[in-house]
Amino acid sequence: MVDGRGRVRPHWRGLLGAYSSLGYPAVAERARRLDRAFEEEGVATVLAADASGGGPRSRRPWRCDPVPLILRAEEFEALEGGLAQRARLLAAMLDDLYGPQALLREGVLPAALVAGNPHFLRPCRAPAPQPFPRLMFYGADLLRGPDGEWRVVADRCGGANGVGFAAENRALLARVLPEAFRAVQVRPLRPFFDAWLDGLQNLAPPGVDNPRMALLTPGAKQETWLEHLLLSRELGLELVEPGDLTVRDGQVFLKTLRGLRRIDVILRRIKGEQSDPLEFNAGWGVPGLMQVLRAGAVRLVNAPGSMLVEAPGAAPYLPACARFLLGETLSLGALETLWLGDEESRRIVQADPDAWRLRSAFDPAQPVALGALDVFSGRGTTPPWMVAATRPMAPSGAPRLMGERLDPAPVVLRMFLARDAGGAWRAMPGGLAHVLEGGGAEPQRIAGPPPRRGAAKDVWVLAEDGGDILGPAAPRVATLPIRRSSGELPSRVADDLYWLGRYLERLEANARLTRALLARLLRGAALPRELAEIRALTRCLHASGILDAEAAASPADGTSLPRALLAAASPAGALTTLLEMVERPQAAVRDRLTHDMWAAFAQLSQEGRARLAAGTTGLDALVEAMGAIIRACTGLSGIAAENMVRGGAWMFLDLGRRIERATTTARNLAHALDQPPRRMEAGLRLALEICDSALTYRARYLATVQPAPVLDLVLADPGNPRALGFQLNAVKDRLAEIGGADDALAATASVLAARPQRLVDEVLMEVDRDAAAARLPDALLALEHETAALSDAVARRYVSHVRARALDEDETGGAA
Amino acid sequence: MTRYALRHHTAYSYGRAVDLASHLLHLTPRAVPGQRVEAAALHVAPEFGYRVDGHDHFGNGVTWLFLEAPHAAFEVTLEATVDVAFAPPPPDAATPPWEAVRDAAMRPEGWEAAEFALPSALAPADRAAGLYAARSFPAGLPVLAGLRDLCARIRRDFAFKPGVTTISTPVATVLALRAGVCQDFAHLMIAGLRALGLPARYTSGYVRTRPPPGQKRRQGADQSHAWVGCWLGPAQGWVDLDPTNDLVVSDEHLLLGWGRDYADVSPVKGILLGGGRQGLEVSVDLVPVDEEQVA
Repeated sequence: MVDGRGRVRPHWRGLLGAYSSLGYPAVAERARRLDRAFEEEGVATVLAADASGGGPRSRRPWRCDPVPLILRAEEFEALEGGLAQRARLLAAMLDDLYGPQALLREGVLPAALVAGNPHFLRPCRAPAPQPFPRLMFYGADLLRGPDGEWRVVADRCGGANGVGFAAENRALLARVLPEAFRAVQVRPLRPFFDAWLDGLQNLAPPGVDNPRMALLTPGAKQETWLEHLLLSRELGLELVEPGDLTVRDGQVFLKTLRGLRRIDVILRRIKGEQSDPLEFNAGWGVPGLMQVLRAGAVRLVNAPGSMLVEAPGAAPYLPACARFLLGETLSLGALETLWLGDEESRRIVQADPDAWRLRSAFDPAQPVALGALDVFSGRGTTPPWMVAATRPMAPSGAPRLMGERLDPAPVVLRMFLARDAGGAWRAMPGGLAHVLEGGGAEPQRIAGPPPRRGAAKDVWVLAEDGGDILGPAAPRVATLPIRRSSGELPSRVADDLYWLGRYLERLEANARLTRALLARLLRGAALPRELAEIRALTRCLHASGILDAEAAASPADGTSLPRALLAAASPAGALTTLLEMVERPQAAVRDRLTHDMWAAFAQLSQEGRARLAAGTTGLDALVEAMGAIIRACTGLSGIAAENMVRGGAWMFLDLGRRIERATTTARNLAHALDQPPRRMEAGLRLALEICDSALTYRARYLATVQPAPVLDLVLADPGNPRALGFQLNAVKDRLAEIGGADDALAATASVLAARPQRLVDEVLMEVDRDAAAARLPDALLALEHETAALSDAVARRYVSHVRARALDEDETGGAA
Repeated sequence: MTRYALRHHTAYSYGRAVDLASHLLHLTPRAVPGQRVEAAALHVAPEFGYRVDGHDHFGNGVTWLFLEAPHAAFEVTLEATVDVAFAPPPPDAATPPWEAVRDAAMRPEGWEAAEFALPSALAPADRAAGLYAARSFPAGLPVLAGLRDLCARIRRDFAFKPGVTTISTPVATVLALRAGVCQDFAHLMIAGLRALGLPARYTSGYVRTRPPPGQKRRQGADQSHAWVGCWLGPAQGWVDLDPTNDLVVSDEHLLLGWGRDYADVSPVKGILLGGGRQGLEVSVDLVPVDEEQVA
């Protein structure tokens, strides 16, 4: 930020001016707003397996420093040139090492660095009838030395993460701190994404005009998932998991509800060795994918095996490889690195071990745990050829916000490059930087994933005067046909939406039951009618798994029932588990939810957890928690009804919700009406409460509670969205929309949907209607079972997934 | 020269129909000096969706099969006619000291052998296997003398006992058991040699069996076999040794291909969707064709 004489460097003046005129307290407030913006976007609430073993799920907050890292136009240009050259070299190395291996034959690169590298994937060297490009996307981690020069710490060829986050940082920072962007001319990121997309489209196999492209992610359980989601949105690619794809007739297809849809270009974000279980023994991936790649019927970006050239052990040989393959000298420097498989290098490192840091020769982010002496003695478990030594460098600082002032801190910069339609490498004018906390400038830490603590930084590339802000010409795309319904929903997404609908409804229904029970318990000294209601409610809560048998059987006025309810709100309790069940499919279909819906889900999740935690302190707090959960759930239903296009996604969400509500309503009404005829009034009142229909009833019939009008309202009234018949009719409609009007499942649902009206008619024909109502529970439970059977049939037809497994192999017996 | 008629039949039956299967086969005899493939054909049932023939990283023949219709059984049969006459290796004394071979493997002239001097999943750098092998390699010994000695010791020290091991049994366990089958002995020898820094590769194929005196050959009674390719240095290349039978491979072995270990050249691999329980039957016949028939 300042030069050697304490003067502010010219390219910082504009931004610092903007901060000063805002005032630093205001900047600090914007920083807090930025944190909140990330939280709202769900960036802070990604569910991910905690790599440190700190628990099954952790919420790692994403922090972005409001002070960007600024790169001058000519500084960026030099970086882009140097990195583009490096990318060309690494691509040429991949083509050679997975091909003729001239680098090894001529002794330019030691063979052990390839043959011993776990990322050298031998199936990728099987000769391909149609040669395919192996490297089209590249990232590099860089550090700026005290001399102001950037040096490469690590190459990222497997699938450099962070490009999605970089776009997200930029978008949110621009929203929260627009003044800063007015003070300086910053090059926008979008032209890079357009050029990249254009390059991806250009990769499509010959004859494909409007290629279908997908981003292949390992799924929502992985830490990298949010990055994949953000990136797929930025590029407008379908987000798919290996299970969504299948290989038929030498081509790759996406499994959708309407059948198979061909995929032409795949942005691969799963590990290379997990892309095809037939060839890599990893037990995961798309069987046959490699063979389609070899035949040229699909492109993978990058091709599996590309991680091979990330090897730090190969770093000392890169200048020689560049001379050999390109006839060029590398223009961009790198941290000094040696490979300990080489005797001379071993001697150099051994002479001054403290000056070097050891890391895996094959994985830039993997430190070598052993002391140097073990490696040199040859007695350690890590042989020297598996180790690289890098000389650390004190990085120069860049300003960041600390409290209400700027403070220099060392940063590492990750830049991204992609090939455009002309095949040229282009760098994203920006990137992802992060602050190295605690001066941890260890090479392997720098090359590792963004640290848990410590902020990310947006990277600004200053535009030259008059700007190259214009993007390239629009990509070449054929005219799109009009599409209305999204029957091309991947089956797995339909599965997740269906269960999201079911779990959301289950959560709401149980919150309602719990609240109804709590209200009665809090009133104290219950009347006989209320005792009957309490018993019916505990039966309902037992049937849905919130109360165990013991609690359900305990006396209505004792202390064990309240205790059991408080326990259900505890972290391991049944209510909390229900909330978690909603979170799981919700994370997996995030790319199908609108921003508002996602925010509402995030709020349900956050507020639900907080309220439940508070709810363990007392029954009053628990009532409030139930109220909050019910409000959040109904809010979500409203958003779904008003904001979701009536396509495949909405249909499956609603189908799940209606099937769940039909089964629980039938069951709960059965428990409510399970009363002796003389106490039927209590059961009927409860039925109205369970179906949230008491107000409507009073408006229609005033205070008189009789079986026929109550049962008509909660069972048959086609206008009551809480009535059983309404749910079954909706199930029938959804199934007909998905499968066609003459669909067998829809026909089954149609039969079930007629049942509630018949049950009401039967009661009407009786003289003693209380007695007739008391006979209903059996019929209602039968209806519950039939609905559950329909649900199983729906799952089998639309959403069940068969797992691939390996053939048992013949063991080579060997004759003696 | 001996001419063999080979038939290797593999039959899977599934408890439930398999909806979709993909297979990767290492079932083509490799043409190498000493082995001429007169004819080789793979017969597959049921009808496959499509089939691709090609080669792997090691140069072995590979077949990919994609079965896209539901099927309750899968059969693949290799039928081949192969002439075998591997040249005898040089005299022990004419081979370099084993240390020179070890060092050459890590130098540019050994670039193709280096891969086989490094550990792999099924033949890791096992310390115990290394200690076992080291006894055959006193300082300065010509490499082939050491290799022959190791081969003979494995034959002597280990009992051929089917059923005591599986493919996932680690080398260290085989060493402790002192028993196993050809696969185990090959992996053990490879692991031991690699621990010393000597390149060794896993070779998959078949060996001729002779019925006990006075009895007739039983149909289908032969089996897949495995042995070890050993490197004698850049000048003299590879020689094949069979530790199960303590033999230098000459004209009683028929070779399919090689890799770092079994996993690289497993004859029949597959990934299935559906299928339930799997039943497997394998039969191998390796029959020398009479000289008269050849003529």
